[in-house]
This record gives sequence, C-alpha cells and structure tokens, in this order.
Amino acid sequence: MKTIDVDRTLCDNHGQCAIAAPDVFRMNADGELEYEATFDDALLDVVEEAIDVCPVQAIFLKD
Amino acid sequence: MSTPTVQVPYLNISDPSFAMQSEELRAAREQSWYARTNYGIAVLRYDEVSKLLKSPKLSQGSAKWPAHNGVHGGLFYDWWTKNLLVLEGEDHHRIRRLLNPAFSPRLIKDLVPRFQALANELIDAFIDKGECEFIRDFAEPYATRVLTILLGIPESEWPTIARLASTVGLALGVTFKQDLDKVDAAVAELYEYAEGLIKDRQANPGEDFVSRLVLANRDGDRLSDEELRNALVLLIFGGMDTTRNQLGLAMQSFMHNPEQWELLAERPDLGGKAVEEVMRINPTVTWVTREAVEDFTYQDLFVEKGTTVHLFTQSSGTDPKAFPNPEMDLLGEHAPHYGFGGGVHHCLGHFVARADMSEALPLLASRIANPHLTGGDEWLPDSGNTGPIRLPIGFTKRS
Repeated sequence: MKTIDVDRTLCDNHGQCAIAAPDVFRMNADGELEYEATFDDALLDVVEEAIDVCPVQAIFLKD
Repeated sequence: MSTPTVQVPYLNISDPSFAMQSEELRAAREQSWYARTNYGIAVLRYDEVSKLLKSPKLSQGSAKWPAHNGVHGGLFYDWWTKNLLVLEGEDHHRIRRLLNPAFSPRLIKDLVPRFQALANELIDAFIDKGECEFIRDFAEPYATRVLTILLGIPESEWPTIARLASTVGLALGVTFKQDLDKVDAAVAELYEYAEGLIKDRQANPGEDFVSRLVLANRDGDRLSDEELRNALVLLIFGGMDTTRNQLGLAMQSFMHNPEQWELLAERPDLGGKAVEEVMRINPTVTWVTREAVEDFTYQDLFVEKGTTVHLFTQSSGTDPKAFPNPEMDLLGEHAPHYGFGGGVHHCLGHFVARADMSEALPLLASRIANPHLTGGDEWLPDSGNTGPIRLPIGFTKRS
C-alpha cells in the first residue's frame, strides 16, 4: 500500500493539496498542513493530483 | 488595540515615482515589518509576508477593484467577478480542481522543445545586428507565442492575442474607467476567440491543453462552456504581460550581474535557478493584494476587517533577515520567493511560466555576450505589475 510523505523542509503551506484532495490533506486554523499518511485506494487519483499541483513539489508517494 | 512598540513608517505607494528598490523602502523594512500606506498596510519582511500570504484571515483583495474605480457593470466587470482570481471558498476550489490537471508539470514538460525552437527563432532574427529592442523583439513575441502554443492556435496569430491581452490589461491601470469601452470591446473579442476554440475542441478533442480543459471531469462535475471561456480569457490575461515583463526584468538583472550571465551561458542547467533568482530579487508582481475578512491581531498590529494588505514581493525576497546574502546567486540555496503569490490563490500557470522562462534565459545567455543598455529604455511604474516597456540593448554575438 502506498503512503504519503510530505517533505516538511520544502512544504510552504500553500494549501493547494488541500484543494485538490480535501479528504487527505487539510489546513488547520493556523494555516498549517495536516494530512493522513495512509489513504483509501479510491483516492489515488486525487492524491496524484495533489502531488502534481504542489507549487514546491514537496509531496511524495512511498511504497 | 495594542500600541506599536516602534514608529511605523509610511509609504506613498501610488506615487508613480515610488521605488521598490530604494533606500526609503530598505530603511522602512529595517525599522518595521510593515508600513502604513495610502492603500492600507504594506508587509515588508519575508517571514511576515510568508505567513500572511497564506493566512485564512485574509482573502484575495482584488474583487472590488472595478467598483473602486467606479465600474459596476459591463463585460469586463462580469468576467472579473466570476474569474478564479477573485472567487473564494468552494466556488474557487471547484474550478481550480477542474483546471489544475491541464497545468500539470508532467504535461507542460512536453512543450519544452517548442519553447526552445521558438526562443532560437526569435534570437536568429536579431543576433547578427548586435542589438535589439528586447521587449519588442524577444519578450513580447516569446510570451505571447507560448500562449498560442498552449492554446493550440496558429503562432502567426500572436499579434492579435498580444493586442487583446494588453487592452484588457488596461483594466488594472489607474485609467481603467476612461478605458472601459476599449477594455469591454477586447473582452468581447477574446470571448469570441475562446468560444471558437472550445467549440472546435468539443467537436474534435485531442491531447492538447484546451482539449484537456474541455474534457476535465471530476466526480461527474465539468466546467460549463461559460466557465471554460472565462478560464481561457484568464489564461491570456494573466499569462502574457506577466511573462513579458518578467523576461524584461530578468535581462535587467543579468545586465547588473554580468558574471551571473556568463555562469548561465556555461551552465544552461541553471535555467530554473535563474528564473527563481530573478523573481526573488526583481519580480514583475511587486505586491500581492489581500483583504482582511475579519478583525484580527498579528504580532503587534490590530488589523480591522476590510483592511487592504499589500504583501511586498521584492522587499521580502531581499530581506536580510531571511537572506543574509540577498544578491543574485544562481548557485545559492535560497528560501522560496513569492513572485507567484501564494496560498489558495497561488498562480495557476506557474509551471508554464517557469518552464518557458527557464528555457529562454540560458538560450539567450549561450548566444549573446555582454548585454548592455543602449539608451531609450522606458519603464512601467514600480507599483503593482512592473517591468520595461522598451528595452533597447546591445550585445556581442557569441561564436
């Protein structure tokens, strides 16, 4: 099963992933990213969209 | 309301002679993280710009721009109030989700050979003269023809696109109200253009960018014809002037840093870094506008609902607190700049802009040496979106 890994040294909290895949990524009240490392297989497409759209390309999938 | 512990500087940012790269601004940034201005508040330092740019307490601040200029209706007004730039919340997110896949960096990469061929063709046309007007001969045709490549329309039609984009761009100037008839006429022409493209791709969908938008689908939701049209107009409106101006500013920065130009000529793999460095120290979008959606306190400052907050990009990108050596350095490791804005309204087309400029700059550097001003350059004011209007340069052709 694939899991999500966000490189926090790159992440700049723009929140584009939370727009692309709101079931997996969200921005908290302080404007900081929170996410689930594991996700339902049915969400793979939107997770890949979130990875693509990240302005600083900080999101990776691990096997 | 808390009392500021330091005296807060004041900047008159609507003065046409107001300069971003000035002693006045550096002194203000040294004194305080923000300044008061004739439009509200200007945020000057990197950490504060970074934080506030993405703050949920601030929304995009340009929604009321037409109303502030006494414009309350017409084609531009209707388009503006429905475009992604000013939409908020789920209305914004839904359209952004449907548009995003077409702008994927994986898909933009396929266009790189076209960008390279275009850059070389434009350079071929002036290289033997030893001089050119960089905006007319390179930046403007390059920026506009990249759009025609993206839209899949004949590159020969670029002067029409350039003219329409520039005319609609008048809406962002201080003479908007006087120019309203011209602006609305250009929007009407762009609508016709966009509607033609959409109809064509609906009938004959392919693998191209506009087809991907036409076919975009998420959980059964699709863009309506009107939303597609509005998005294509936004692409032309937002993609042309900005790239043209940024290329002109890049040339200016490299003329100030000739050793960096030589480095880029030797190391074309630094094209991407060149774009980031130029946008950090010399961005065309000199501020990003936000508006407070509620009362809040940030650090020592109470911000009242409705306050306009300008986040200064060049000032934050050269803030000595975040960049101990703020000079242009293609080999340096620098924090990200905010020349593409940030947060939910982060520039949609940045992968395209980054890809096309990171091809153009090393090709220019590898073919022309010692670029220098030859006189007659003209500039937009620094406030808002800046850059050269005319940039005559001389150079030596590399053998």
